[in-house]
Amino acid sequence: MLLSRVADNLYWGARYLERAEDTARVVRSFTELILDLPLGVASSWEPLLAVVGGRDEFDAGHARAAEADIVRFLVADPSNGGSVVSSVASARENLRTTREVLPRDAWQAVNDMYLFTSRDTESGVDRRTRARFLSRVITDCQRLDGVLSGMMRRDQAYELWRLGQMIERADMTTRVLGVRAASLLSMPADADDHDEVQWMGVLRSVTAMQMYQRSRRGPIDGASVISFLLFDETFPRSIAGCVQRMRSALARLPRPEATLPAVDALEALLANLPATATDGTALDQSMDQLQLALADLDSCVYDTFVNEVV
Amino acid sequence: MSMAELRTSSDLWDELLHTDGEPRPAAAELVQQLQTLGLAELQQRQDLAELDIVGMGITFTVYSDGRGIDRAWPFDIIPRVIAADEWRVIERGLVQRLRAINMFIDDVYHEQRVVADGVFPADLLDHSVNFRRECVGANPKFGVWAHISGSDLVRDADGTMYVLEDNLRVPSGVSYVLENRAISKRAFADLFAKQSILPVDAYTDELNRMLSSLAPEGVAEPTIAVLTPGIYNSAYFEHSFLAQRIGAALVEGVDLVVGDDECVYMRTIGGLERVHVIYRRVDDLFIDPEVFRDDSTLGVPGLMRAWKAGNVAIANAPGAGVADDKVVYAWVPDLIRYYLHEEPLLPNVPTYRCVYPDERQYVLDHIEELVVKPANESGGYGLIIGNRATRTELDETIAHIEADPRNWVAQPILALSTAPTLCDGAIEPRHVDLRPFILSGAGSYVSAGGLTRVALRRGSLVVNSSQGGGSKDTWIVEA
Repeated sequence: MLLSRVADNLYWGARYLERAEDTARVVRSFTELILDLPLGVASSWEPLLAVVGGRDEFDAGHARAAEADIVRFLVADPSNGGSVVSSVASARENLRTTREVLPRDAWQAVNDMYLFTSRDTESGVDRRTRARFLSRVITDCQRLDGVLSGMMRRDQAYELWRLGQMIERADMTTRVLGVRAASLLSMPADADDHDEVQWMGVLRSVTAMQMYQRSRRGPIDGASVISFLLFDETFPRSIAGCVQRMRSALARLPRPEATLPAVDALEALLANLPATATDGTALDQSMDQLQLALADLDSCVYDTFVNEVV
Repeated sequence: MSMAELRTSSDLWDELLHTDGEPRPAAAELVQQLQTLGLAELQQRQDLAELDIVGMGITFTVYSDGRGIDRAWPFDIIPRVIAADEWRVIERGLVQRLRAINMFIDDVYHEQRVVADGVFPADLLDHSVNFRRECVGANPKFGVWAHISGSDLVRDADGTMYVLEDNLRVPSGVSYVLENRAISKRAFADLFAKQSILPVDAYTDELNRMLSSLAPEGVAEPTIAVLTPGIYNSAYFEHSFLAQRIGAALVEGVDLVVGDDECVYMRTIGGLERVHVIYRRVDDLFIDPEVFRDDSTLGVPGLMRAWKAGNVAIANAPGAGVADDKVVYAWVPDLIRYYLHEEPLLPNVPTYRCVYPDERQYVLDHIEELVVKPANESGGYGLIIGNRATRTELDETIAHIEADPRNWVAQPILALSTAPTLCDGAIEPRHVDLRPFILSGAGSYVSAGGLTRVALRRGSLVVNSSQGGGSKDTWIVEA
């Protein structure tokens, strides 16, 4: 038994928290990458905005797009609903209304993270403390994940949480691929002699570097990075890995016949992608299609579990 | 390390100390520990407790500028101690009181023998704002209407424990009893190891058992729901806490629907699911817009039909508030004698009822020596304390009494007992009360102790957390 209203709050709580974690990973890796690139190589912070989203809101409020402006907007700006601090605050509000279905320690983990992010907000902007701040957010999200894995029955609340988490995570992976990987593919072969550093940056955006290396032989290569992040089902942050987990969650929730077709559509899109990507524009477009399919799944979940319950 | 100094005021009863400063027997271990620890260590434990409260998210909600603000629960590290032998008498007195009150409510909604026999005045019922005509003839299981109550107890200067009021509608605070204990066990682990302090944790299981017992006939494993007004209610934390502890669904009015079969269902992701028992934390005027306030969005249309058809149990039963009234309160000792043929084990505070001309005149003549209370408000609003009020406040209250005498009662100003409390780096005596929680179903259960509320401001008698009150853990200690 899971109330529709509670289900909706749980699902969004999971999405907010995954968003906070993924944004923290992307900003952390981008900061590391930029510091590595030599002067003269284009080092704009704007791709970060393109990955995380919120370009229009950012432009409306900012005349400049310098590092501090962008990082503050993405990490520490409470008026940006998608920032790390806002996502954590929203997740906490959602968990406050779902405490009765989650282990008590789950609430404490999120509450701790909220107290920390609202107290030490500024340290998320300052370059010297940024990595520490973002790593703490990631660790706290992992702590919550551990509480749920280790303490929670595999009930409807658990599956719904995982579903929200996987949809948000897959969405972020498509953005990293659609923006960062696609722009690298589109660069003329001789334009940038720091190619492998940039591809490491792509992997690190979703903390996939080490797992990628363990799964491949030889040096980093763009096409195999893309195929790893798209197709490697054994990696929990790849699109295929996320989609597989969405399917198993929905199969254990009521009325799978109403929701699984949306997952079939996602899988069909994925299956139609070329095994080796070479064209940046085509990659960007297919990531857009995947995002639309994820949005369709999101509406289908809402309709099935919240809206259509009379 | 300096010894902590505990002092008390000579004309008040202190819960831990005799007037000469010697500890009362049940508090001896605690007082010794406090003195050995010293102020600095005690303050450190207080600070740790406050960190725990923030980290555990133990909050209550207050309203300010039209917004609900989530505040950390105010807690004082120094517990209040009650000797087990005294407690056993209080416990029996509370059970006795609630038995009589429940018989009164059931009688009021049926034959009204109590009125026919001349024990309770008919016109008081006619004018009661808490009497629900819609409940007449309803038959809640076991004849019990007030399943969960939280009576407020206060102790006067001579040590007598009085019942100050019976909260029969949606009394709150029990979650803090359990949370305070969890925190106080950390702060005083050695004392818990050394002496026998009654555990409080069983309350939620007893609550679960009692609520389950209310299920309609033939339902072996009832689905229980806690009905909350929502996240902006001051007691939302508690609603959520209790739902967690008893494995109930925490529902809002919008989550429930009454079907054509007059059964109550909740909207789940798998469709509608039957609910058998509702522990409602919504005032009864708001539970069913078909019957009561039609502008209520907190309730469920048709809930009263389902209840009267016996398809769902509601705790507390709609209409139970008829006995939660500072006017009815004045009759409780008579009700105990009438229904149980017993003498009350716990005394009432002497109460003047403004509805009677002679008692009203006494109140008007002695208003400066009395606490004057509106009969139907809760939370301490509208109450004035005669010897502390300004002339204007007194005059306003007199005008209110003359305009609507039934709505006012008055009581002598009790010299509320104190307990040593950590305030701004010193231990100071502060006034306290006690709210035990009583469960009534086929049998009765009383929480071990209850919520001790403390007026943190010097000299203040107002213990409500919404108005600057704090709380203490309450230890029932076997001597």
